[in-house]
Amino acid sequence: MATGAQEPEAGWVPVEHRVLGLDRRTFTPAFVVLVISLGLIYGLPALNAAIPWHNEIRAGDVLDLGDGATAVPPVGWHLESGTLVGEGQENPVGLQALLASGGATVELRGAAFKGAAEQFLDQVQRSQGDDVPGVGGSRATLTTDAGVVGVAQSYTGPSGDGLDVAFKVAVGADGPAEAAPALLVRVRTSPGQFERYRGAVAALLRSITPGDRR
Amino acid sequence: MSDVAAGKAAQLAAIEQSGWGLPFRFLQPHNAAFWVYLLGVGGGALTMLRYFGQGGGFYAPALTGGVLLFGLYLVPWLLLLRHHNRYTRQPAGLLATGFAWGGVAATFWIALPANTALLDIWAKVGGTGFAADWAAGLSAPISEELGKALGLVLLIGLAPRLVRNAYDGFIIGAFIGLGFEVFEDVLYVFNGATQSFGVDQFSSSLQVFLLRGASGIVSHALFSAIFCTGLMWVLGRAPGERNVPRGILAMLTAMVFHFAWDDLAGLSGGGALFVVLLPLVVVVELATLFSVLRHAARRERAWIRDLLEPELATGAVDPPLLHAVSGLRKQRKAYRKHLHSRRRARHLIEGAQDLAHEIARARGEETPHVARARAELLRLRTIP
Repeated sequence: MATGAQEPEAGWVPVEHRVLGLDRRTFTPAFVVLVISLGLIYGLPALNAAIPWHNEIRAGDVLDLGDGATAVPPVGWHLESGTLVGEGQENPVGLQALLASGGATVELRGAAFKGAAEQFLDQVQRSQGDDVPGVGGSRATLTTDAGVVGVAQSYTGPSGDGLDVAFKVAVGADGPAEAAPALLVRVRTSPGQFERYRGAVAALLRSITPGDRR
Repeated sequence: MSDVAAGKAAQLAAIEQSGWGLPFRFLQPHNAAFWVYLLGVGGGALTMLRYFGQGGGFYAPALTGGVLLFGLYLVPWLLLLRHHNRYTRQPAGLLATGFAWGGVAATFWIALPANTALLDIWAKVGGTGFAADWAAGLSAPISEELGKALGLVLLIGLAPRLVRNAYDGFIIGAFIGLGFEVFEDVLYVFNGATQSFGVDQFSSSLQVFLLRGASGIVSHALFSAIFCTGLMWVLGRAPGERNVPRGILAMLTAMVFHFAWDDLAGLSGGGALFVVLLPLVVVVELATLFSVLRHAARRERAWIRDLLEPELATGAVDPPLLHAVSGLRKQRKAYRKHLHSRRRARHLIEGAQDLAHEIARARGEETPHVARARAELLRLRTIP
């Protein structure tokens, strides 16, 4: 065995292997990891950005909100997540659907919540803290064609316009609504663009229908 | 060459090839792998802080619950993996470095952006219905298995003489996978709380803990142990260990297991088949894991034999003990039967492992530490 005096000091790099203070013998693993990591971190999102959405909503498509509840999405918008009726089963308290068109998005999120729609909207606002798109307007009541009552609050600000509508997906304000799953419909548009989408959003909100069991 | 000289030469060769006894140094400013490691863990830590910072502390109860519950969950896992870190065992610092890569870099630096992109790509290509059933299983085995295995590649760069054979890949892979699993579990707790807008946060974190804790037994630690063993077979860093087909097969198997686990609902069509498929997948995964472990341990077991064989002459080790300390569970069980004492067998095996460790640390030379470990083993042998 080599004696202690002949052992190189830990971390010492022979001169012929030094490049910019680094040991070039260590380049291969570092380079391999760097290339694959950057490919996964930036390459895949770049590929994703290059592929356009083709999930256009066609006339007659109905969005599954779970447990038989449905909504009719605006024709021509793209469904980026969520399930159409007949394509699978949706969980009403784990629902995450996203519709997009131009500079507007409509997100539908289901949750388990005991209480009224207004209390649910309070909870949503507490959870988002300061992360709101702008100045909030006053709250308004909204009733869908099927009689589901929701509470709406609009926002406007330099980063865009928004509308949050909280529902308890059931008809009636007493027992069934109290225990029913909660639904938040969150609309976000580019600044000053909300009016352009108002009709489509209003039609979507009016179309929300609870399941037969509620 | 006499038998004694041949035995000593084999011992020195085993020490040299295994790198056992060498210390692990994390701080290596001349090593490019060190800087890439810091970039990955640093980038992951920043993303993690930003992610968990959402809501301005509103989700702190869920996050605290998740950290505490999965912190406790780590304890039995660490004890189990410590038990398997036998033969030419890896230093704790190296394993902790792998754990941190799995938890912080692989989860937050790599998997989070890569999975987000892949899930969208599958939804674009196959539609949202297809994505709901299959996207998770078609994304995670690629992004997550690669992300975790990159930690092993960096550890090879940081400790090329310590990370030499398939069993090293198995143990380090398990630690990287465990880091990934626990940090991802905390992420799931957080996501669960945000999904319910912070309602009843502790109860939701407990729910996630029970579900993910149970499924975690056959999850990331297992996938990565198999995948990283396969990678070591492909790289073939120990003499005679390169086996590219077997390595690729092991890596693909880990990815298929990951796919099956993530898309079990899709595979069972959302019906009663799930109840049949779930135990079947668990049994197949565990059987494969132990088969991979047995194959991976061959080289290390041979090294331990070579390392301790010269000790037969000193009387510190006898053939049954040598067989047990370099053996698998079956050989250790046979040794317990041979001694008619579980406790004594455990003490002698541990004493022999300590002696092997001291011999490796002394690079085969006679030192006071070696003499003490040998004397201790001789003392244990006299205790009935």
